[in-house]
Amino acid sequence: MARTRGRARGLWEPSRLLKRTILALLLTPPACLMLFALAVLFWGPHRSAAFFIPLVTALALSTALGWPLAAKLRRQLTALARQRDAFYEELLRLSKAASLGEVASSIAHDLNNPLAIMREEAGWIQDLMKGGDLQGAHTQAEIANSLQQIDIQIERSREITRRLLQWGRDSAPQTQSVDVNLLLNKTLYLLESELQTASVNVVKDLPPGLAQVRGGAPELRQVFLNLMKNALDAMKDRGGTLTLVTRSEADGVKIEITDTGQGIPAAAIEHIFEPFFTTKPASEGTGLGLPISRWIVEKLGGRIEVESREGMGTSFQVTLPAQPITPSTAPKVRNDPSVVEVAKASPGG
Amino acid sequence: MTRPIRLLIVDDEKRLVETLSKRLTARGLYVEGVHSGSEALALAQAKPFDVALLDVRMPVMDGITVLREIKKIQPLLQVIMLSGNASINAAVEGMRLGAVEYLLKPANIEDVLAKIEEAFNKKRLQEERQAAQREPGD
Repeated sequence: MARTRGRARGLWEPSRLLKRTILALLLTPPACLMLFALAVLFWGPHRSAAFFIPLVTALALSTALGWPLAAKLRRQLTALARQRDAFYEELLRLSKAASLGEVASSIAHDLNNPLAIMREEAGWIQDLMKGGDLQGAHTQAEIANSLQQIDIQIERSREITRRLLQWGRDSAPQTQSVDVNLLLNKTLYLLESELQTASVNVVKDLPPGLAQVRGGAPELRQVFLNLMKNALDAMKDRGGTLTLVTRSEADGVKIEITDTGQGIPAAAIEHIFEPFFTTKPASEGTGLGLPISRWIVEKLGGRIEVESREGMGTSFQVTLPAQPITPSTAPKVRNDPSVVEVAKASPGG
Repeated sequence: MTRPIRLLIVDDEKRLVETLSKRLTARGLYVEGVHSGSEALALAQAKPFDVALLDVRMPVMDGITVLREIKKIQPLLQVIMLSGNASINAAVEGMRLGAVEYLLKPANIEDVLAKIEEAFNKKRLQEERQAAQREPGD
């Protein structure tokens, strides 16, 4: 099946649009003068004048009227661009809040099993105590085993709540440069149980020593979260493989997130970065994830591209400018317990 | 004398199945536990059960799928969905598809027992009705 590529068109900037209009306005008078000169050469001054003087007058008038109009248009477009950016900032804030809600909810859900086990273990000890033979070796062994299990489940719960704390810590605005591999791992960790439930294998190709990216860790996390969730959604019916690749390239750091889901049809791929464009039912998708991601990436000076094959899968490529390494931005190596290898989901039943 | 309730527990959380089985067995039930949908279906083919506790969220085969398939194998089996709060929609969906009740984790053993007994009584009534239909009065 044909591979279709999509490139997120750069967000429009008033200066770019207006430059062309103003350029056209500026070039018209000299162009007219040149034509007049040519006309004089061919037809002589009188005939040319009869034709050209009204023409030049009309053009001078339209330039005089057009110039203030162009300036006004430029002001309005600048205001619109500012408003658009303000809306995206707010959308970003809301999607961060929504993500926090989802993190909290997923943690609450993951805590149910440890809590259920602890309740049963405590209940079993109570059952044994009511049963009578407390001194018996068998009963003692059962009680010891249950108590041990309670401790195991508490450790498990600690690990789960630590995720929420880590999310909060990582939400603080940062001005430092970002370690993309670390951020990808942290985001992946968050989706761990969902990936397992959906029978999705994870393949990582994240070479160490990758150049760091200029600032915006919480925002970039939203982008990675959005792309990974889209990949997960594409594969949740039949499982598949999620592949994460990072590379240092000439124009920056490239991050590739690939899924083996149903792919994006050629007709749709042109529109996926448009606000409110979605193929999901209303209750599931707002169609804002990709527009927000594009906005964040472009704000950081990067670009986002997509490649898809219907029936085979989709790959999103984000390229971000690398942070030039100075002593203050050199990566600080520390033992971060939150970086864990996500175990591959077992494919068969 | 009523026979012991035959209970099947289906949950991928192994320790939970183990301890819950112990506690319910101590209360006079006959309990078997499995950790996946495929195991549950295989067991349902082989042995009759009265009630099943079925976890909604399991990898590979989720609870709703297991519910659909197991009702085909044992139509009178009373299924109680087990869910955490986040998957309550699935539990309710399960009830629409034929589950008789749902329980939220972590559950109280008294609630669990009460719902199992209720479900068992429902099944007994259904069995008696079926038996009566097969023997019309002369």
